[in-house]
Amino acid sequence: MNIEAINEQLLRAIGVGVALVDADAFRFRFHNDTFAEWFGAPEPGARLGDLFPGLESETLQAALAEGGRFTTETTFKLRRRTMVVAMDVTLALDGGQRIAVLVCQNITRIRELESMIDSYSLMVERNTRELKREKEQVEKLLLNMMPRSVYEEYKTFGVVTPRLYTPVSVLTVDFVGFGEMVERVDPGVIVSELNDIYTAFDRIGEQFGCERIKTIGDVYVTVAGVPDAVDDHAAAVANVAVRLVRYLRQRNESHPNAWRCRIGLASGAVIGSVVGVQKYLYDVFGPAVTRAQRLRLLAEPMTICADPDAVAGLEGRFDLESLGPRELADGSRIEVWRMAELAPAGPAGLD
Amino acid sequence: MERSVYERYGGFAQISRIVLDFYNRIMEDDDLGPFFDDVDMARIVDHQTKFVAMLLGGPAHYSDDQIARMHSHLAIADAHFDRLEEVLAETLADHGIAPEDVAHVVTEFHRRRGLVVKP
Repeated sequence: MNIEAINEQLLRAIGVGVALVDADAFRFRFHNDTFAEWFGAPEPGARLGDLFPGLESETLQAALAEGGRFTTETTFKLRRRTMVVAMDVTLALDGGQRIAVLVCQNITRIRELESMIDSYSLMVERNTRELKREKEQVEKLLLNMMPRSVYEEYKTFGVVTPRLYTPVSVLTVDFVGFGEMVERVDPGVIVSELNDIYTAFDRIGEQFGCERIKTIGDVYVTVAGVPDAVDDHAAAVANVAVRLVRYLRQRNESHPNAWRCRIGLASGAVIGSVVGVQKYLYDVFGPAVTRAQRLRLLAEPMTICADPDAVAGLEGRFDLESLGPRELADGSRIEVWRMAELAPAGPAGLD
Repeated sequence: MERSVYERYGGFAQISRIVLDFYNRIMEDDDLGPFFDDVDMARIVDHQTKFVAMLLGGPAHYSDDQIARMHSHLAIADAHFDRLEEVLAETLADHGIAPEDVAHVVTEFHRRRGLVVKP
């Protein structure tokens, strides 16, 4: 077998479709077996356009004249399978005759793979979005249980180191006659009103940099200076306290259930930490918290009681009155201050 | 948390081979192939990718309602369902999935018979 015969044999057998057409009328001169398998054997005298009606001879002619090359893609069904073939036409000279060489590569598998990757990417992207949404929900829940900076520490290290914060200011508030109200009023109404009131308290607290720590029934505890330092923490809780009273007074005017608060303020040291292993809760405890709780018990309805540290430096900004030394629930005696908003210049006074 | 078949066998890198082989076998099958005669290639591949990923516990989820709706226009008989089950089991086994995992996947597949087979 001579070299030309071997070449022809090879050309027939390879998995690439090859056809030779004359470059003027694009009539078929030769095609290999793969080409015939994909597109059918061209009839004698058939032109390229007969097999590929989408292939315009003018376009092909122009492309070959310009750069000597033309590429395109064609699809067809082999049995039921969509085949995708990349076609490459190049110009060649054969003994002075212009021949166009058509080489067809089967890129079906590549297209199928691309489709699969598209499908998979979309699935994964959708899952990623869902996971992100879930993560945000978990984060939102955890942020209800602890301040953001504590949450960041917890997320990074898996634990929260207990810290001593001093000095900071604590505000605690409860409602006179809450127990009696629970027995008298529909539970749904109680919870709904308590929700409204606590939401308002949270909003007022946020304005002054206070962090709500917890609620236990009708007891609401918020602090200024934990975990992030607040410059004028005593003024912050004082400002919140007078606004809570003002908010409740206004609210009570238009609601059948009157909510009358007692507020205790104290400044001093507290420890802040996440407490619990399975059930996380960020909590603060320490002398300032205990004192604020005890001072609250001394407050008349809709008034605020504070310890000396909490009112130090507030002269002229609030209406302050010393009630003298008073005994707290643990038997200790400290000077107790009553604190209220400064009376406005107009005739409307405070309670 | 228990790892799915999808994860245990190497995630999409491995599962993609199963998907393409499964696609080949279905297209060549004279009972199953005709269902895909007039369907765009990209759609069939998309369908097979999600189908295999879902059965193996990968990142695709279809509710029973969705599956029923997707197949509502097709005249699928018990014989077609049985044949697909065979092709699925063969493909998985040929790709080295352990018999108990194949059985698990086939059970998952089987559970959905009532959603797609027309009485």
